[in-house]
Amino acid sequence: MLEHALTNRNGVTVLLLKGSLNALTAPDVRAVIDTLVNERRLQVTIDLSALEMIDSSGVGAIVSLFKRLRTIGGEVKIAGLRGQPKEIFRILRLEQAFDLVGTVEEAEARFAR
Amino acid sequence: MDPGNARLVVSVPARMEYRDHVGALIMQVCRVQLPGEEGVILGHHLASAFNEAFNNAVLHAYAGTSVGTVEIELSVDLPRLELRISDHGHSFDPRAVAEPDLAGFPETGLGFYIMKSFMNEVEYRAGSPNVLTMVKYLEGGAGQ
Repeated sequence: MLEHALTNRNGVTVLLLKGSLNALTAPDVRAVIDTLVNERRLQVTIDLSALEMIDSSGVGAIVSLFKRLRTIGGEVKIAGLRGQPKEIFRILRLEQAFDLVGTVEEAEARFAR
Repeated sequence: MDPGNARLVVSVPARMEYRDHVGALIMQVCRVQLPGEEGVILGHHLASAFNEAFNNAVLHAYAGTSVGTVEIELSVDLPRLELRISDHGHSFDPRAVAEPDLAGFPETGLGFYIMKSFMNEVEYRAGSPNVLTMVKYLEGGAGQ
């Protein structure tokens, strides 16, 4: 089961993902990603502090957002990566691609620089 | 019973809704067998490999068929852990699975790579049932 929420903090879009991002729930997130790209939300923080589990389908959704936003000059930061998702990011070397920060506040500060 | 031994046998319908419940059981077995942070990490590794194997059974083995069952067997005899996933659906040729180019940030085709990354051995035997066997050996810690 996955819950997601979109908020805006000082011009930065925060996408909170809570629960399990997997082959069953990834399509819902992809629909949100379509919206973010279409609306040209160029500064996006994905808050993974409440994400318990991710699989390759979930990774695909996040990478999709990263690549599509990058194409239009946007940027994605990942906040609160921990637990099993952190192990997946490590094994797929995604830690080298994304700007990983501890909190949403930290991401906001980095976007503001 | 030797505290380093455990066996978990589960049979569930090939539906994604069951996956994380079985994954939680696998993680719990790991935490019981290996107390502390090592057991937690071990659980993450096994659950990650299991997730991809289960996905393959649901999304590919039983694609286009009525819902079948997936049998999961976890055998622990430390330092060896064996995870076996069986299905009665379509088989596949693991030799045909391309190695992903991680530098290109692929969005698909990562499942087998994840399994091989977290487990020391991954073997697939096509048949009735198809059986995917994954083995992890602890080497003084929770593997890689």
